[in-house]
Amino acid sequence: MKSTQHLLLILLSGCFLFLGCGSESNSSNESDSKQEVVLGKIAIDNAWARPGSQQGKSAAYLRISNGTASTDTLLSFSSDAAENVELHESIEHDDGTTSMQPAGQQVIPSGEKLRLQPGGLHLMLINLKRDIAVGDSLQISLEFARVGTITAIAPVQIQQ
Amino acid sequence: MSSTLKSLFVSLLIIAGFTACGPDALYDLSGDTYQLRDSDSTQVNFPADFRGDLSLVTFIYTNCPDVCPVITANMTNIQRELDDTTGVNFIEISFDPERDTPSVLKEYRNLYGLNKQFTMLTGDTTTVHPLLDKLDIVAVKTTIDSLGYDSTNYAMRHSNTLYLMDKEGYIRAKYPAHRVTPEHVKDDINYLRSE
Repeated sequence: MKSTQHLLLILLSGCFLFLGCGSESNSSNESDSKQEVVLGKIAIDNAWARPGSQQGKSAAYLRISNGTASTDTLLSFSSDAAENVELHESIEHDDGTTSMQPAGQQVIPSGEKLRLQPGGLHLMLINLKRDIAVGDSLQISLEFARVGTITAIAPVQIQQ
Repeated sequence: MSSTLKSLFVSLLIIAGFTACGPDALYDLSGDTYQLRDSDSTQVNFPADFRGDLSLVTFIYTNCPDVCPVITANMTNIQRELDDTTGVNFIEISFDPERDTPSVLKEYRNLYGLNKQFTMLTGDTTTVHPLLDKLDIVAVKTTIDSLGYDSTNYAMRHSNTLYLMDKEGYIRAKYPAHRVTPEHVKDDINYLRSE
């Protein structure tokens, strides 16, 4: 009988604790309640940037792998080494010439990769805050619609 | 005139025409001289100063953030691919001579660790533009609003061309400079060496 009472007491305590935590979570931040659970992660690798001079431009490249269960969208970019970062694309025209233009918003389906690589999509680092030379590294932050901001380290190197 | 004589006459005309135009040349620079400057500000007579060697000739601008570094990387890859680089010049001519002064070209060549077989060339627009025109190299200034481009700060829509020039100044082969495989160019260089 005594052990039954103990068991009941433990169960009741557990219920109070559970309810207490739940109400705290709901009341603490209204926006948090809308935040969805993201399974899996978005990974960034193969990041690197070209050298550049202060106030000049550079380009950075990387690969984004969407390992989450849902499509995500790349919203914005920033870097500790540049005043502004934009996604651009080098485009080859029918006459064989190449030009560069801003790229639109990139949607990355679940399980897909987005490659930013020379001659295609790339991040333009605009108005560099400092000289970036081979051997340096810089931070590149990517903001996604679902998973938020992810920061990668990009070593500065020469393309081989 | 008999048909045999007619055929002979036509054949002679073809041979004469071929001899006059050079060997399968895409462009004939054998009689031209363009006075350019290298990255040490030394005057270079292009292509006369390279006569007697084979030359890979491409076109870039140093403010190019994405594609031109690929072209330069491909040139160094071709250089590495060759078993013997003797008698082969690697020439990059700026199609943006207003900004690409010799000292700017020097910075670029140092940045990419280009060795002495590489020659970076620039010059007066009055000299460079006719050369570009002759070789059908397109280079047009473009602007991207968000980058705050202006008359001195611009991007360029440009050709991605690599030429193989023979010892006499005839352009013998044309490639997409940013993506031709080094093996392909190596085969052509070896072919011209065997002529």
